[in-house]
Amino acid sequence: MNRALWLYLGVFATVIASFLGLVQLPDHQLRGLEPVRDESGVDRPLRPEGGVLAGRQEYIGLGCLYCHSQQVRPDGFGADIARGWGIRRSVARDHIWDPPPVLGSMRTGPDLTNIGARQPSAAWHLLHLYRPRLTSPGSIMPEYPFLFTQQRLELERPADALSFPSGDPRPGWVTLPTYRAKDLVAYLVSLDHSYPVPEVRP
Amino acid sequence: MTLVYGIVWIVMAAFAVSAVAALVWAIQHGQMERFASAARSIFDEEEPVGRPTDAFPTSGLERRS
Amino acid sequence: MSELMPSAAEPQNEPPTRAEIDRSCRGPLLVFIASAVFWLVIGSLWAILAAVKMHTPGLLTSWEPLTFGRVRPVHLNMTIYGWASMSGIATLLWLQARLARTRLPLPNLLIAGGVVWNLALVAGLVEISLGHGTSVEWIEIPLFWALVFASVFAVVMASSLTMFARRKVAHVYVSQWYLFGAVLWFPFLYLMANTLIHTGLTRGVTAAATNWWFAHNVLGLWLTPIGLATIYYLIPKVIGAPIHSYHLSLLGFWSLALFYNWAGTHHLIGGPLPAWLVTVGIVGSLMMFVPVITVGINHHMTMVGHFRRLKDSPTLRFIVFSGMSYTAVSLQGSLTSLRSVNEVNHFTHYTIAHAHLGVYSFFSMAMFGALYYLLPRLTGREWASARLIKLHFWASAGGLALYWGPLTIGGWLQGLRMNNPDVPFLEIMTDTLPWLWGRTAAGTLMTLGHVVFAWLVVTMLRGSGGARPASFAAATSPIGEVKQ
Ligand code: HEC
Repeated sequence: MNRALWLYLGVFATVIASFLGLVQLPDHQLRGLEPVRDESGVDRPLRPEGGVLAGRQEYIGLGCLYCHSQQVRPDGFGADIARGWGIRRSVARDHIWDPPPVLGSMRTGPDLTNIGARQPSAAWHLLHLYRPRLTSPGSIMPEYPFLFTQQRLELERPADALSFPSGDPRPGWVTLPTYRAKDLVAYLVSLDHSYPVPEVRP
Repeated sequence: MTLVYGIVWIVMAAFAVSAVAALVWAIQHGQMERFASAARSIFDEEEPVGRPTDAFPTSGLERRS
Repeated sequence: MSELMPSAAEPQNEPPTRAEIDRSCRGPLLVFIASAVFWLVIGSLWAILAAVKMHTPGLLTSWEPLTFGRVRPVHLNMTIYGWASMSGIATLLWLQARLARTRLPLPNLLIAGGVVWNLALVAGLVEISLGHGTSVEWIEIPLFWALVFASVFAVVMASSLTMFARRKVAHVYVSQWYLFGAVLWFPFLYLMANTLIHTGLTRGVTAAATNWWFAHNVLGLWLTPIGLATIYYLIPKVIGAPIHSYHLSLLGFWSLALFYNWAGTHHLIGGPLPAWLVTVGIVGSLMMFVPVITVGINHHMTMVGHFRRLKDSPTLRFIVFSGMSYTAVSLQGSLTSLRSVNEVNHFTHYTIAHAHLGVYSFFSMAMFGALYYLLPRLTGREWASARLIKLHFWASAGGLALYWGPLTIGGWLQGLRMNNPDVPFLEIMTDTLPWLWGRTAAGTLMTLGHVVFAWLVVTMLRGSGGARPASFAAATSPIGEVKQ
């Protein structure tokens, strides 16, 4: 074999080693993780499907991850639990259904691991997405008007029309969430990882 | 799947061995010695040691104006 | 593969001169360089838009492609795969050609590669803007376009390795080691990460580990080796003195090769991963002290006695600034991998500042330096204005300092207060606003530098800077007496 080939392979090998260590080995270790059954007989974490799955895709497509994390750090490391972002740390098992999990690396906004437990109201989320500064004064979260449509108010007010604290911004018109907004909110409301797991002692 | 993993691991092991081989090659073939000449290998008569090769432009718009 | 091997059959004629080598690079390199500069300017516009949107969220909200969550990844991909990678590939090919003393092989394929790269990038950015991005940081571009990029990498690899195999110089110069590493490591990393993550072969937190193994190595095993190869070649070349210690430079290379690729998982400290995985990342990051300190000492000792050349040489200014930033950003990086530090800085703007110290202050400044050296030699023309080069330097260096300093402080305060559960979240958020405004100002200054640079490049390509003195070396020595 030509010695230059050895060189190519050798320099290459350094990165292969890390690939083995940082990708293959954890994969090997974590591949067998299974859901756990909680006291009411439901397997956790729930496998996202339907609207929740579509909502997850919206979360990814809209880039919410660039401002929000979805990982609760353990007790004694940061103040995640003390802030009420979760009752236990996140574990690998929480993410077995996520092809790539949306762990995030920024907390311009709060952690959303358990936002469904903290804020279960779909109406709140819709209003917040439409105009964050209505629910959270001074918020720097962007608004998402393109997830909503405006419609002239007919005789009857549609059930899912947004209700604003100070009345409809444009009298005679109502604001309706699109399917995308509803999916996204279904996903947000589904985010609840408070079930017990064997890895974390309560 | 197991087969794929098997192959992946064998290939990786082969690479690991070759890393050591590369280092051995580099040492045996003088890449780790004669450092002074190695450091000077980027100079020659055309651009010898001691002659800088870059400066701010002195021609161009500023001179013309 | 046999084509890549040095063959005894090759004609043993005289190696080409530097001028001939530079000329052989012209076509392909100009394609890559012109594209890189274009992406630099456009990427800066997206950067400013993202920065402004952070403190003024009501700006341009109704058009979906300009929502913050898309502008930010578009900015990142423009600057990493447009500006940094394209200028990096140009520099890599040129350095390899010069160091191996061969003409650039496969010029036509490389030109085609440059065009295809641009098309793939445009397509990828459109996909992200339309909401088809993957939100996997640093590999937001969907798999198909990633595979197109990979095919261009194959051409760059073939060209670069062919030169390496044909090298006419017995010694492998330290820059060549780095280039050799970059060209082998990155395509592999890129292909592996994209296929493993986007096809669902790795799932759950393993995908996150794969993600950060890759994302950190974009800097560590792609941009860093190209940047260091540039510095190791251009400092000695510009000042006309060999590097201080060749021994140290090799130690630096091999220790980087062994340690850097393990550092990535420090991005997941505190996350839901097995503890050992994160610990490996921390150890890898701390081991980086070895290559960083050796490189830092080496560059500094080479420069000793030549610092006054900083006044004469545009390239040297950028390159030395870059080298110093490399030391700074790497030491900072190692420190942030410590659990106690990471507990504060993780998830804050501190990390954003750190990333810019790496990709901008170290890598981009090295590329500016390289291009100031390279373009006159490719085109045979001179830069149009010394004053504008200086303006570019000060806008970039000053802008970066203004960017890094305040955002680091602001991010650190943000982290400290986030770890105090008694401070309400909204209050912390509000208090980051002044720092975010500062970032916008700094980014505007940097963009000004980029526009000036782009203008200089355009005038050079149009030839309005005038021809280069026939014998440049003769015309510029003694260099100290050059009048501005
Ligand atoms: C520019 C950064 C940014 C982006 C992008 C962003 N957010 Fe936010 N988000 C914030 C900030 C800041 C807050 C805290 C203030 C508030 O409640 O609005 C917040 C709060 C929230 C909350 C309430 C959290 C709580 O604890 O009350 C939810 C839910 C939320 N965001 C969801 C989303 C979703 C879904 C997206 C993507 C469509 C998104 N965010 C995109 C910055 C952002």
